[in-house]
Amino acid sequence: MRRFWIDTDTASDDAVAILMALRWPDVYVDGISVVAGNVPVEMGARNARTTVELCGKDTPVYIGLERPLLREPSYAYFFHGPDGMGGMNYPEPKLPVASEHGVEALIETVRLSPGKINLVTLGPLSNIAAALAIAPDLAEKIPMCYVMGGAAACLGNMTPAAEYNIWFDPEAARMVFHSGIPLLMVGWEHCRGAANLDDQDMADVRAMNTPYAHFTIDCNASAIQANRNWLGDPGLSLPDPVTMAIALDESVCTRRKKHYVDVETQSEVTRGMTVVDELGVLNKQPNIEVCWAIDIPGWKETLYKTLRQD
Amino acid sequence: MTRKILIDTDPGIDDTMAILFALRSPEFEVVGLTSVFGNTDVEFTAQNALRLVELEGDDHVPVAQGAGRPLVLPLRSLGKLVHGQDGMGNTNPPPPRGRLVSQPAAQFLVETILANQGEITLVPVGPLTNVALALRLEPRIAGLVKEVVLMGGSAFRGGNASPVAEANIHNDPHAAWIVFNAGWPLTMVGLDVTMQCIMSAEYLDKLCRSGNPATDLIGRILPVYQEFHDKIYGMGGAIHTHDPSAIAYLLDPDLFETEHLPVYVETEGHCAGQTVPDRRRQWIEAPVANVCVNVDAPRLQKLYRERLSR
Repeated sequence: MRRFWIDTDTASDDAVAILMALRWPDVYVDGISVVAGNVPVEMGARNARTTVELCGKDTPVYIGLERPLLREPSYAYFFHGPDGMGGMNYPEPKLPVASEHGVEALIETVRLSPGKINLVTLGPLSNIAAALAIAPDLAEKIPMCYVMGGAAACLGNMTPAAEYNIWFDPEAARMVFHSGIPLLMVGWEHCRGAANLDDQDMADVRAMNTPYAHFTIDCNASAIQANRNWLGDPGLSLPDPVTMAIALDESVCTRRKKHYVDVETQSEVTRGMTVVDELGVLNKQPNIEVCWAIDIPGWKETLYKTLRQD
Repeated sequence: MTRKILIDTDPGIDDTMAILFALRSPEFEVVGLTSVFGNTDVEFTAQNALRLVELEGDDHVPVAQGAGRPLVLPLRSLGKLVHGQDGMGNTNPPPPRGRLVSQPAAQFLVETILANQGEITLVPVGPLTNVALALRLEPRIAGLVKEVVLMGGSAFRGGNASPVAEANIHNDPHAAWIVFNAGWPLTMVGLDVTMQCIMSAEYLDKLCRSGNPATDLIGRILPVYQEFHDKIYGMGGAIHTHDPSAIAYLLDPDLFETEHLPVYVETEGHCAGQTVPDRRRQWIEAPVANVCVNVDAPRLQKLYRERLSR
């Protein structure tokens, strides 16, 4: 079994990504740490536990940092709905929140199995930055960190320059990108346009008629509307599931390359911009890999595989 | 009743002078030392902290190792020119007998404060990285310490590590921002008073001939520090009184004149690490600190000699 740790600010698209990992045949999820982002940590932890229960698992859900390192939190209810789950108001899960701190649990788990656990981050990088500051050795003990965040093509959703996760805690992202951890940045551009689930795709998902398929569309009810009305996209955009699809099956990412990438922390206009030195003009040592292209049918099929069979 | 203090430190020559001052003051129960990079590498500062508690026969005082680099900025120069490669004036002291506690400093700070709610006075005399991480791991500690008295910053005196920044704040300005903005009662013992309080060559000579292990140690490690002060400031064997001033404040706050001032910490750019006092309160976002602006230097030095020469 491949082992994953998921760090998430669980709202609707995070929930689908978690579901994918929990239902993938050869993946075991050691733990889920929740960070402030789309919603406050308590709500995120509740949404993560709802998802774990739906999948019939008992994966521990830990609470991590309840705010960014320096910035004030700025939640995304406008996108994901008042409960972060499209206003579905799922009942309180029975699975309790794990007692340990998310950052401490991550450090301990990785140290107990060095080189064995891949990290998938679906939210702001505050937990990961704190973990690496407290335990810098984690950078050598995590084989790969798949990050949903940033915009290599400089196509922002929070501002024209910045993607939400990186914008939310730019200092944390800067710390993680320069920590030496092997990292693949999957930017927001990869869930746009044709990578959206359009009306036909969503109808196909509904027709699968499994609880997972309905959950995927239901909990994204607000996101679908916001994506269409606010971002001008054709349907449902799923940034976190695209990233999870790559973590589950790397062939979904069809072009990747290591570059020097920095995160803007000083400017107001470009706060959280991920500046990719694609041409190497700075002559600096490349620090992280950037996903440049994905196989769109491949990504969708990766998702569908986890939704079909009951 | 004794006062429980927790010192976060990068010994360091003046840190050594401060820690010995605290350990030799019956008013205090030193409940732990946490180490951080700064005057030299964190591996040295942790071992030095252990050596100091052992020198005073206080082997029961736990010592935790903390951050080896700043949160966001790359590690710049350490204070090895001022304090020696080993932080002990290049005297290469023998290894300590005891061991560090297993928790990283940030976790140790959180656990100790939670176990002694409302009783701990936190005394950071190095870069604020560990304290900032502790605040983000467990935000409740902001309301659970008795107070914070730190050596660092400069209100009206300019800097020492840069034209505008004092070394501890300059070493990790983002951490300082977090600590100054935590909303806890904070006293800043900065260059305004520590550079006002000058221990003369004669004073130090007499102190170091007191004939006890603490003053013997200070006598051995001091020459590098004196040479630095002479080279930079032409002080002819005299030194500024940095870290011991924070301990002096705890023993007798009346030695100091203080002002409640909003203090803004600059985190980036040329002025990174500057602590800007806002006397006319024009920047509403700046958090208020109790800033030491004047000191009765002769009385402070009398108190120091009294404690160290016992």
